[in-house]
Amino acid sequence: MGSVKRKSQDDSSDFAPPQKVHKEEDSTQIINEELVGCVHDVSFPENYVPLAPSAQGDNKPPAKEFPFTLDSFQSEAIKCLDNGESVMVSAHTSAGKTVVASYAIAMSLREKQRVVYTSPIKALSNQKYRDFKEEFSDVGLMTGDVTIDPNASCLVMTTEILRSMQYKGSEIMREVAWIIFDEVHYMRDSERGVVWEESIVMAPKNSRFVFLSATVPNAKEFADWVAKVHKQPCHIVYTDYRPTPLQHYVFPAGGNGLYLVVDEKAKFHEDSFQKSLNALVPASDADKKKENGKSQKGLVVGKLGEESDIFKLVKMIIQRQYDPVILFSFSKKECEALAMQMSKMDLNSDDEKDIVDTIFTSAIDMLSDDDKKLPQVSNILPILKRGIGVHHSGLLPILKEVIEILFQEGLIKCLFATETFSIGLNMPAKTVVFTNVRKFDGDKFRWLSSGEYIQMSGRAGRRGIDKRGICILMVDEKMEPAVAKSMLKGSADSLNSAFHLSYNMLLNQLRCEEGDPENLLRNSFFQFQADRAIPDLQKQIKSLEEERDSMVIEEEESLKNYYNLILQYKSLKKDIREIVFSPKYCLPFLLPNRAVCLDCTNDDGEPQSFSIENQDAWGVIMKFSKVKSTSEDDDNRRPEDANYTVDVLTRCMVSKNGVGKKKIKAVPFKERGEPTVVSVPLSQIKSLSSAIMNIPKDLLAVEARENALKKVSELLSRHPDGIPLDPEVDMKIRSSSYKKTVRRLEALENLFEKHKIAKSPLIAEKLKVLHMKEELTAKIKSLKKTVRSSTTLAFKDELKARKRVLRRLGYITSDNVVELKGKVACEISTAEELTLTELMFSGVFKDAKVEELVSLLSCFVWRERLPDAAKPREELDLLFIQLQDTARRVAELQLDCKVQIDVERFVHSFRPDIMEAVYAWAKGSKFYEVMEIARVFEGSLIRAIRRMEEVLQQLIVAAKSIGETQLEAKLEEAVSKIKRDIVFAASLYL
Amino acid sequence: MVMRKLQLPLSQTQKVRFERAIERLQSLSSTANSDASVIVTDSIPVNHEDAFLKGHGTSEVDGELLATVCGVVERVDKLVYVRTLRARYKPEVGDIVVGRVIEVSQKGWRVELNFTQDGVLMLSSMTLPDGIQRRRTSVDELNMRNIFVEDDVVCAEVRNLQHDGSLQLQARSQKYGKLEKGQLLKVDPYLVKRSKHHFHYIESLGIDLIIGCNGFIWVGEHVEVRDPMVIDDQKDDEMISSSTKNTGKEQSHIPPETRQSICRIGNAIRVLSNLGFTVTVEVIVETVNLSNSKNIDIHDMLGSEFHVVVAENEAERRRAKRKK
Repeated sequence: MGSVKRKSQDDSSDFAPPQKVHKEEDSTQIINEELVGCVHDVSFPENYVPLAPSAQGDNKPPAKEFPFTLDSFQSEAIKCLDNGESVMVSAHTSAGKTVVASYAIAMSLREKQRVVYTSPIKALSNQKYRDFKEEFSDVGLMTGDVTIDPNASCLVMTTEILRSMQYKGSEIMREVAWIIFDEVHYMRDSERGVVWEESIVMAPKNSRFVFLSATVPNAKEFADWVAKVHKQPCHIVYTDYRPTPLQHYVFPAGGNGLYLVVDEKAKFHEDSFQKSLNALVPASDADKKKENGKSQKGLVVGKLGEESDIFKLVKMIIQRQYDPVILFSFSKKECEALAMQMSKMDLNSDDEKDIVDTIFTSAIDMLSDDDKKLPQVSNILPILKRGIGVHHSGLLPILKEVIEILFQEGLIKCLFATETFSIGLNMPAKTVVFTNVRKFDGDKFRWLSSGEYIQMSGRAGRRGIDKRGICILMVDEKMEPAVAKSMLKGSADSLNSAFHLSYNMLLNQLRCEEGDPENLLRNSFFQFQADRAIPDLQKQIKSLEEERDSMVIEEEESLKNYYNLILQYKSLKKDIREIVFSPKYCLPFLLPNRAVCLDCTNDDGEPQSFSIENQDAWGVIMKFSKVKSTSEDDDNRRPEDANYTVDVLTRCMVSKNGVGKKKIKAVPFKERGEPTVVSVPLSQIKSLSSAIMNIPKDLLAVEARENALKKVSELLSRHPDGIPLDPEVDMKIRSSSYKKTVRRLEALENLFEKHKIAKSPLIAEKLKVLHMKEELTAKIKSLKKTVRSSTTLAFKDELKARKRVLRRLGYITSDNVVELKGKVACEISTAEELTLTELMFSGVFKDAKVEELVSLLSCFVWRERLPDAAKPREELDLLFIQLQDTARRVAELQLDCKVQIDVERFVHSFRPDIMEAVYAWAKGSKFYEVMEIARVFEGSLIRAIRRMEEVLQQLIVAAKSIGETQLEAKLEEAVSKIKRDIVFAASLYL
Repeated sequence: MVMRKLQLPLSQTQKVRFERAIERLQSLSSTANSDASVIVTDSIPVNHEDAFLKGHGTSEVDGELLATVCGVVERVDKLVYVRTLRARYKPEVGDIVVGRVIEVSQKGWRVELNFTQDGVLMLSSMTLPDGIQRRRTSVDELNMRNIFVEDDVVCAEVRNLQHDGSLQLQARSQKYGKLEKGQLLKVDPYLVKRSKHHFHYIESLGIDLIIGCNGFIWVGEHVEVRDPMVIDDQKDDEMISSSTKNTGKEQSHIPPETRQSICRIGNAIRVLSNLGFTVTVEVIVETVNLSNSKNIDIHDMLGSEFHVVVAENEAERRRAKRKK
C-alpha cells in the first residue's frame, strides 16, 4: 500500500461554532508523500506559525547512528525529533519504536538535557533501564521498589513516579527537555489510565514529548490534544507496517490440522474457515462440561488414551519447525495446567540443558537456601530444561525474569504465557498460539477484541529471522465468520480517555498555588474528546435548522395560531374525556349492546390528523372486564385504564405483523373491514351513545356480527351524532373542573368558527407541514441542550460532590485550603487515601503492634477474593472490623454528598484474606511458611507486600508532617520487618 | 483575640472610641477556645485509655502530655497538637513565601524567611530566565549572580523540609522569582492566613500584592507574567530587543501615582499589623478605600486617628459578617 493521504483540512475548520472557546485550528500537512507504509501528520496549536524547517535543523550530525537502515516511519519520526518537536509514534509492537526513544535519549544527552522515559510496568522499566544503561551509561531508574542514580540525565521510571514528581515540583521537572511515554495506549486503562492524562497535562510547558503507542486509529485526535494543551506542534507517525507479515491459522478442537484463514496479504479465506469449523468436534457432544462455564476443560484434560489438543498442536509446531512458540491463555492456572501436559516433551538438546541449568542456578543464587527450596522454584527447573516455560504474574519475579532471559536466548522453545507477556520488551517468537478465542471478562466470556488480538499476535514473527509470523487460533466452538473476520482483521482499539477523579488528585491540585482541579479537567483528554463531538452536533443542528427554514408556509402566522388552537382543543377534549371516562363515572354505563364510538387514530405512531373531525369507529359494547394481572402487553396501556378493558364489536382491519402476532385495528365505520370483537382500553372510547341495540347473543357467525353492525349504521343514519350520553344530564357528572373545561372548550369552538384560515383550501396539508416543522424545532432544541451540557465541564458535578466530601471530613476548608488531614491524604497515592487517613487519625495505628499494623495494611493492597481463606485470628479480625467500620463511614458520607458509590462494594473491596500470611511474614517467618498459610500465587503475594512497603513509605512522610514521631518510628520499623529476603530480591535486570 | 498594646499618643476621645471598638471586637470573637490555650509545660488533658496521636508542640513526659510551646490546643480526631501564637514562621510544604537573599552560595541562594533557619533556593529548583528545560551547568552556576544577588527580594514556594530542619524552596514558574519596584513589609506571620491564593493583582491600582505565609508582604508595581512560550515563538526579534528592553525598563520611572498606591497599601498593612488584625487582601483593599474616602494623606495613615477609624471599621465589619 502506498501512503495514505490525508486531506489537509480537518472538518473542524469549515464550520466555526458560535460560542466555542478555543478550538485549535489545526491544519494538517503532508510532509513527505512518497513514503512507503507510513503516514505523517502534524497537529498545530491554534495561532501557531510553523518555523521554517531550516531555522533549527542546522545540519547537525545525527545524535545517534544506527547500524541498520531505518524504516521510513523511524526516520520520519527522528526527523521530527531533530527539529525539536514532539512526536507520537503509533506502530505495532514489533515494528521498532524503541529506535525513536533511544534517539531522543541520545539527543538529549548530547544537549545536556534531562530526559525521562516512562513505562506502565515496573518490570518493563527494569528491562528498559538495563538496555539503556548498556547503551548510554548516564541512566538512572526510579520505580516504587528501587531507585538507582536519581541524578542521572536519563531517568527511567513508572508513570506514577513521574506524576508524583510533578506534584512535588521536583527539580527534575525543570530540567527535563524530553519526556518519553512508552505504551501510551495504556491511557485507556480504567484504573491507571488517568495517571497518563495527569502527567501529560502537568508536564512542563517547554518540554517535548515522544509518545510510543500501539496502533491506534485515533492517533491524530491524541496529537491534537497534546498540541492544544501544550501549545506546540505534535507530529503523528502512524504505520500499520509489520516487518514480518503474519499468517493466521485456525486449529479446530478435536481436529488435527491447521487451516489458513488469513494469509500474509491479509486476505480472508472464507472457504478454509468453514472447513475448519466443520472439522470441529463439538465439545458439547464429547463431554458435557459446558455447564460449569469453563470450556477449557476439554483442552486441559484430554480424552483418555488420547493426546490432548494442545499436545498435538505443539508437536505439530515442533515438527514443522515453527518454534519458538508463545501460547497465550487467559488465566494463570490454565497456563500452568497446559504446561504440565507437555511433560512428555523434550525440546532441548543436552548442551542447551546444561546452559539452562547454569543460568538458572546462577540466577537463584542470590536467594537464601530456604527460598531455593520453594516448590515453585524447584518444580520449574525440570520443565525449563526441556525447553518449556511458563510466564505469568503469579510467578516469583525472579523466576519470571529468568524465564524471560532464557526465552530471549532461545533456550525456551515453547512458552505458556498470559496476556501480560504481550506488552513491553521485544520478545518475539515465530509462532503465537491463542489457546482460546474467548476471554473471561469479570462476569462473562467474550470474544477477544481485535485490539487485543493485534497486540498479542504482534509477538509473532522475529524480524530478520522469520519470513513470516504465524498465528494459530484454537477454536473450540462454532464461530461466525463475521466474528472471526472482525477479530482477525478488525482495527485496533481506539485510544479513549478513562479519566476519573480521585481524592488524592484533588488534594494535590488544591495544595499548590497554581493547581486547580478544574483546570486539570478542562485540559483532560476526556474533555477534549467531549468537545470534539460538539462540531458534529452543531452540524446536525445546522442541517436541521436549514431543513426547517426551507419549509415555507403561506400565512404562517395565522396558521400557527390555528395550529395552536387545535392543540389546545385536543388537550381540552382529552381532559374532558378523562373525566367522563374515569371508571367512577362511566362504568355504570358500559352496558352490553350499547352503541359506542371508538377513537381509532390514537393507536401507534400514526401521523396525527389536524381536522377537528376525528375518524370514528362505531361499534357495540359486548362486555367490560377488569384486568387483574399486569400482563406483558401492559406497557402500551395507560395507567389510568390499566384495570379495565371493554370488548367492542366493530369493524376491524386484521393484519399480521412480522412476528406473526395478529394485529387488530379498528377502522372507521364507513371503511371496509371485518366485523370483529376487539377489546379496547377505556382510553380509546370516545363517546357512549344513549342507544342500546337489540342484538342477538350469539355472534359466532360473521353474518350475525354484520347484522349487528348494520343496526348501528341505521342508528347513525337516523342520528348522525349517535345520540351521545350527555355527561351532565345522563351521567350526572358534577365536578367543577369538568364544567370549567367544558366552558373553555365552547369558547375555543367559537374561535374556530371565526378563524378565517380554517376555510382556506388545503388546510390539512398545510397543517401537516407545520406539524413537521414544529417537530423539527423540538429536535433542534434537544440537540442544543446536549451541546450545552458537553460544553460545560465534564465531571463538574462530581468534582463539586467530592469537594463536599473533603470539606465534610475536614480535609479542606470552605475556601479550598488544604488542612492537616488533607495534607496527610495528599501523601497517600497507592491505597485508598480517605479510609487510610481516617484510620490513622482515629489512632488505630498507634494501638496496634507493628505486625498487626502491617497485617492491617495488607487489606488495602489485596483486592482478590480467595474462596477458602480462613478467618484471621481475633486481634487481626478486630482490626479488620475497625477498618470496615471506617470504610463504611467514609463510603456513606460520600453517598451523602452525592458521590456515586456502592457502599457495600466499597467496604468489601478491602480483603482480609492475606492478613495472616502478612502477619507471619512480619513476624519473620520464612517465605515457604508464609506460602503455606496463604493459598495464593507466590508472585501475587510478593507484589502485595511490595505495594505495602510503598504505602508504608507514604505513611512515614505523612506521620512526619503531623509531627507524630513515635508513629513514624513504628512505621519505619514495619518497613524493616517486611523488607527482606525473596520478597525484595533485586531484579536480575539491575 | 490578642490585642497588641498600641504605642500611639491618643487623645481622650480617641481613647474612648478605641477602647469601645476593641471591646466590641472582643465580645465578637469566639470564646470557645479560650480555655484551650496553654503555656509551656502545661499538661494537656487527654484520655489515656484511648489511643491518641501527639502532634507538633507536644511531648509525653512521665505519662503526661505536656505542651512544649505556648498556644492553643487543637484536636483533629485523635491527634492532639498545639498551634502556636505569635511564634516565628513555621513552614509547611506548599506555602508561598517572600524572602530576602542573604547569600549566594555555590548551587543556590540562602534566603532569610523569618524561620529558625534560612531557606535554600537551589539553582536547580529555579526556572531559568530563558525558560529552556535543561540541566544546570557550571556556567549557570557562575552566572548565578545575574539572577539574584544579596538583598534581592524573592518569592518562592516551600518545597520540602529536610531531616535537619532546613528548608528547601522552589520557584515553579515565571511568576516566582525576583521582586522589583516595590516595598517589602514584615508583619507577624500569624496575621497571615493560608489561603488558596497568595498572589494578588489589584487591578484598579495596577499593584501586585504577594502575601507570603512567613509574614513578609510584597507590594509592588504590577508585572505581566510573560508566557515563556510566547518568547519562544518570536525568538528572533525578541533576542535583539530584549536586552535593550530590559535595561530600558530598569531605568524607566514608576509613575508617581503607582508609587503613591504602593505607599498607601504599605501603610494600610502597617496599620493593620499595628492593630493586630489578620491581613488579607480584602481587608487591605478596604482599608485603602477607607483612607481614600476619608481623604487621609498617606503619611497621616500612620497617625492615631486613622488607627482608631480602622479599628472601628473592623468592629463594624465583623459584626456585619456575623449577622450574615
